[in-house]
Amino acid sequence: MSNYENRPVPEGINYSQENPLKEFFLLLLAAGGALLVLLLILSLAAQKLAPLVPFSLEEKLVSRYAEQFPAPPESERAQLIENYLQQLAEQLLESQRLPEGLNLKIHYLPSKTVNAFATLGGNVYILDGLLEKMDSENALAMVVAHEIAHIINRDPIVAMGRGLTVSLALASVAGLSNSGAADWLIQQLGLATVMSFTRDQERAADAMALDMLQAHYGNVQGAGRLFAVMSEGGIAPPELLSTHPLSDKRIAAIQAYAQSHPQQGEPYPLPELIQQ
Amino acid sequence: MTDLVVFLVLLTLGFVFGRLAESRHFKSIQKRERELATVLAFSERLPPPTNTPRRVALVGGNVVISVDYFKMIAAGLRSLFGGRVRSFESLVERARREALLRMKQQALELGAAMVVNVKLETASISKGSKGQIGAVEVYAYGTALIDIT
Repeated sequence: MSNYENRPVPEGINYSQENPLKEFFLLLLAAGGALLVLLLILSLAAQKLAPLVPFSLEEKLVSRYAEQFPAPPESERAQLIENYLQQLAEQLLESQRLPEGLNLKIHYLPSKTVNAFATLGGNVYILDGLLEKMDSENALAMVVAHEIAHIINRDPIVAMGRGLTVSLALASVAGLSNSGAADWLIQQLGLATVMSFTRDQERAADAMALDMLQAHYGNVQGAGRLFAVMSEGGIAPPELLSTHPLSDKRIAAIQAYAQSHPQQGEPYPLPELIQQ
Repeated sequence: MTDLVVFLVLLTLGFVFGRLAESRHFKSIQKRERELATVLAFSERLPPPTNTPRRVALVGGNVVISVDYFKMIAAGLRSLFGGRVRSFESLVERARREALLRMKQQALELGAAMVVNVKLETASISKGSKGQIGAVEVYAYGTALIDIT
């Protein structure tokens, strides 16, 4: 029996003695990088293809979710304000050729939030909170023109196309992996891709809005006033600007525009209806 | 954002405590392996032939070791690429050696100097269910040979 023995178990063959953090970060980097490249390619493709969706289809899509949109205001004052905003939009649009089939609808919402936004189906919403902050028609016109420009450029459908593609891609990646943890990680990533306009879209909308202002008023004081109102009162910029914060570049672009175009006339006051 | 913080805290806790537990466990395993070296264990089905009369008894050792949060995330990442799942390898290694040690401990208490026909059974607890922290079970068992003197 003396030839029977148990040798000590050798260490480091059946398992690795390397620090697990090294492997972890390497894998995290690789997975993150691959996912990022995939999402980038997909979102670029969606961005290129989304504007090809005909506007009539976009409207049909929106009508299906009509109940999710804010209800039209009921009071007489709100109706009058909405009419005024619609008129302002039409005046601004005189210099622009609206693409065929595009219906622009300006809505007024009696909400105290300082915000204005353009969304699917050619709908533009101006909130009461923002109207209150405006000190002249020109400043308001800058906001309206900026949102109209988003509609003309088909930015809402581009943003939706991008958001949809990214979340679909994330969902299918989540379906491939078979661990709850990976699922969870991917869900977190998905939250970061909300429907929003890119910096380029904002810049393009700014440029188009300035053109509209210049054509209608003979000056772009509205843009300057808008930013002045926002900075002097120390109030938070409206969300239309805060998603892509008021960069120096954006202000510089407006100043350059004002310098290269003749500036005539005084700002118009707001109608009494809004001043009340 | 709150989710991310919770996730990072869990990950850090899992890493720190998992790593601490693992290194302590390995040290304890190595120490007890030296102590129990007198009890021999073989997978050989039949005992070595001898004229000494002896008794036999079934001995077994069972252990369940849990995955920590860090290991689970690391293995999840690994499952995207394939390859050695290093974070689980050390886990099953610990479980195997611990189970054998517990079996030997039982054999020693019975006064046996040898265990033959040693087999290992393994099972994973909460297998396949998503979002569950899994655990590995290893059961080692064999026939202890107790010399009658």
